[in-house]
Amino acid sequence: MHIQYEVLLVVKKVRQRKQDGTLYLMTERIAWGPEGKDRFTVSHLYADIRCQKISPEGKAKIQLQLVLHTGESTTFHFANESTAMKDRDAAKDLLQQLLPKFKKKANKELEEKNRMLQEDPVLFQLYKDLVVSQVISAEEFWANRLKLSSTDHFSSNNNKQEVGISAAFLADIRPQTDGCNGLRYNLTTDIIESIFRTYPAVKQKYAENVPHNLTEKDFWTRFFQSHYFHRDRINTGLQDLFSECAKQDEKGLKSMVVQGVKNPMVDLLSLEDKTLDEGYGSLTGPSTSNSSKTVKENSNSAIIKRFNHHSAMVLAAGLRKMDTSSDQASETSSTDGNSRDSDTFQPPIKKVKLQEAIEYEDFQNETGPKTIALKLKKFDRYSHGPVPLQSHHYSTSQDIISSVSCIQEEMSCYKPCLTQVMSSSAASSAITALSPGGALMQTGAHQTVSQLVPVDIQSELKHLYTAAGELLRHFWSCFPVNTPFLEEKVVKMQSNLERFQSTKLHPFQGKIQREYLSSNLISHLEEMIQAAYNKFHAWQMRRMMKKT
Amino acid sequence: MASEDEISLLVIVVDVNPIWWGQQGQRQPEFTLSKCLDAVMVMANSHLVMTRTNKLAIIAIFIIWSFIFFSHFFDSRDEPSLGSSDGKYELLSVANDLIAEEIKNLMARTQVKGHQTDTLLAGSLAKSLCCILKKCLAGQDMKSRILVIKAAEDCALQYMNFMNVIFAAQKQNVLIDACVLDSDSGLLQQACDITGGLYLKIPQKIALAQYLLWVFLPDADQRSQLVLPPPVHVDYRAACFCHRNLIEIGYVCSVCLSIFCNFSPICTTCETAFKIPLPQMIKPKKKKLKAAN
Repeated sequence: MHIQYEVLLVVKKVRQRKQDGTLYLMTERIAWGPEGKDRFTVSHLYADIRCQKISPEGKAKIQLQLVLHTGESTTFHFANESTAMKDRDAAKDLLQQLLPKFKKKANKELEEKNRMLQEDPVLFQLYKDLVVSQVISAEEFWANRLKLSSTDHFSSNNNKQEVGISAAFLADIRPQTDGCNGLRYNLTTDIIESIFRTYPAVKQKYAENVPHNLTEKDFWTRFFQSHYFHRDRINTGLQDLFSECAKQDEKGLKSMVVQGVKNPMVDLLSLEDKTLDEGYGSLTGPSTSNSSKTVKENSNSAIIKRFNHHSAMVLAAGLRKMDTSSDQASETSSTDGNSRDSDTFQPPIKKVKLQEAIEYEDFQNETGPKTIALKLKKFDRYSHGPVPLQSHHYSTSQDIISSVSCIQEEMSCYKPCLTQVMSSSAASSAITALSPGGALMQTGAHQTVSQLVPVDIQSELKHLYTAAGELLRHFWSCFPVNTPFLEEKVVKMQSNLERFQSTKLHPFQGKIQREYLSSNLISHLEEMIQAAYNKFHAWQMRRMMKKT
Repeated sequence: MASEDEISLLVIVVDVNPIWWGQQGQRQPEFTLSKCLDAVMVMANSHLVMTRTNKLAIIAIFIIWSFIFFSHFFDSRDEPSLGSSDGKYELLSVANDLIAEEIKNLMARTQVKGHQTDTLLAGSLAKSLCCILKKCLAGQDMKSRILVIKAAEDCALQYMNFMNVIFAAQKQNVLIDACVLDSDSGLLQQACDITGGLYLKIPQKIALAQYLLWVFLPDADQRSQLVLPPPVHVDYRAACFCHRNLIEIGYVCSVCLSIFCNFSPICTTCETAFKIPLPQMIKPKKKKLKAAN
C-alpha cells in the first residue's frame, strides 16, 4: 500500500541477500529494491521496526540490520567501496531520528495489553477462555478494560515525581588511578545532571563552550583539573574557564548569608566558636575578632565554607522546580542566593513557626465527637445462648429427695472394684462400634465434594465460573435497555451465552460424567444462565408487545 | 513417644449430679455411679502409667446448691506414705483410695436445698483451668487437656460463663474433650469444636471404660496417627431474641446487635426506630383518552 511518501535518502550499492540494489528511506517506511528493477522487494514500515543494529567498527563487512517486532530481521550490506561507512552511518542516523516517532504510536496499546495479561493470571485465564475459544471477540473483551488503563496512564504522566539529587554525588565519582600518574573519572549522565542542577553556573559554561569550543570530554577534563573543583580553592589568577564560576559562587554565598534564615526560632548568629584554646571549653565574653586567625583556621574555614555552599546548592536545586514556574509558585525562593526575593512571604511563615512552638496538641482540651450512650432495656437476652427453650423434665421435690438418698446410700458403701469394671462382651461391642465402619464412625465416610472431585476438575470449574461470571456481568449490565446500543449488546450477549454453554459447559459436563462423578457440579451455573435466558425472553416478549 | 521433658496433664471433670445419678440408679441398676467411678479410675490409672511424667487431676462437679468441689493433683514425684496392699504401683493405689474417699465424703455431706437440679459445668471448667494455670506458672511447660464426663442435661443459664471459659481454654491451648452419657449437649459440642478436642456420645454406658481408653486416653499428638470418631457437625446458628428459635437469616439491630427473626420497626432491646425503604411505587401512566366521537 502506498501511503504518501517522499524519499528522504537514497543509498546505492546496498546488497541484501547477496543481491545488489538500492536502499530508499522514506517518511513512513524503509524499502529496498534490486538493481535494475522498479519494484521494492523489501519494505518495512517504521512502526514495525523494533530496533536497528550495526556491525561493529573493525569488521570488513559494513552492515545494518533491522529487527522487526515479529522477530524477523533484515540485513543490508553497504558495498560501495569508497563511501560504504558514510552511507551506513547516514542511514543509521536517519533511522535513529525517525524510528522513535513511529515506535510509540502503534505498539503502546499492544504492550499495554500484554502487560495486563502478564500481570494478572486471572485475566489471562479469562482471556484464554473467552477470546481464544471464540466465545466473545477480542474487542469486546478489551472494551471495558483498556479504558481504565489509559486514564491511569494519563494521570500518572502528569504526576511524575522528580528525582532528587544525592548530596554526595561529587564524592561518588571516585577517581581511579590510571596506572601512570593520571586519574580516571567515571562520569555518568546522572552525575552530569546532578552537577548541572546544583551548579547552574557550570551548566551555563557548558552551554557556552560545548560543542563550539571544546568537546565534552575536554570540558570535563578541564573541570576536574581546575581548582574550582578541588578542595583548596586558591584562585591562582590563571585564566581558568571556571574562575568566573568561583566568583559567582562567592557572590551567591554572600547573598545567602545576608538573607539569613526565615525561621524566627533559629538564631544562627549566636552560634559562634568562642574557645579559649583547643579543648578548653567556651568563653563567655565577646569573641576575639577575625584578625588573629591562624593559617590552619583559615584553610579550615575555607573548607567549611565550601561544604556549606555545596549543601545549600544541593538543597536549592531540589527545591527549585524543573520548569521555570511563575513567581507566585515559588514559596521558598532565593535559597541559592541567585534568584527572586521572598520578603512578601515572610509574615505567614513566621506566624506558623511561632504557633508551632507555643502550642502542644496534647494539652488542648478534649473535644472529641459527641456520643450518645447506649441504653438497653433488656440485658438478659444477651446472656441466653442459642439453646432453644426446651421443656426439661421437671422433677418433683419428692423425686429429688428420693434420688439423693438413694445415691447417698450407694456411695456410703462404695469400694472401687477395678477388676470387674465391664464384661468382655460389652468391651468388644464397644470396640466394633469404634472401628472403621462401625456405628460411631459413620459420618467419616461422608466426604465433602472437595475431597471427591479431583483438583484439575476443580480448577476447570473455577475457570468456568469466572468466564460465566464475566459474560453474565456484561449481560445484566445492559438492563434496563434504554438505547439501541444496549439492545444490540443484549442480543449479542444472549448469543454469547448460548455459545458459551454449548462450547464450554456441555463438554465439561460430558467429561465429568465419564469420570463417574455423581454430583452435577454445574447445576448452579446452568441455573444462572437459565435465569439470564428467562430475562432475555421476557424482555423480547415485552418489546414485541410494545411494537404491536 | 513423648520426650522425657514433656509433661502431659489430664484433668478429668466428672459429673456427679446426685439427682441424675439417683434416677439413673433406679432406671438402670447395672450402671450406677460406682461403675462410672470405677471406669474413671481405670482411665486415670492408665494415664498415670503411660509416661512417668504424666500428671493427673480429678475434679468432681456438683450441683448448683452446694459449691463443694474436690480436686487433687496426682504426681509421680509425690512420696506416697503408705505402701500398697496388693502390690500395685503406689501412686495408683494412693490415687484410687483418695478418690473413693473424697467422693464418699462429698455424698455424705449433701443436703437437699431447693428445686434446682442443674449441673455446675461452667464453674467446674473454670476451676480446672485455674488449676492448670497454677501448675503451668509453677513449673515447666506442659500440655494439658480436660476430659468432661457429662451425665445430666445442659443448663441454658450458664451460657455466657461457659463461652468465656471455652475461649479462655482456647487461649491457653487447653483441649476440652467430652464424653456424654445421656443427652447431646450443644455447649460441649461447641467447646470441643473450638478448642480442638473430641466429642463423643456413648451408646452403651456399661462399656464406658472401653470408650474412655480407646478414644480419650491418647493425647493430642498421638490422635493424629489414630483413626478416631470423626468430628460432629456443630450447629452454630444463632437464636433470635424474641422466640429463641435457631435462625439462619434474620434481622440485626445496628445499635445493640440483637437478633430478630422478623422485622419490627422498633428494636425491643434498645428502643431505636428503624425504617425499611419500600420500593418506589411507579405511578401508572395516564393514557390519553381520545375524546369520544
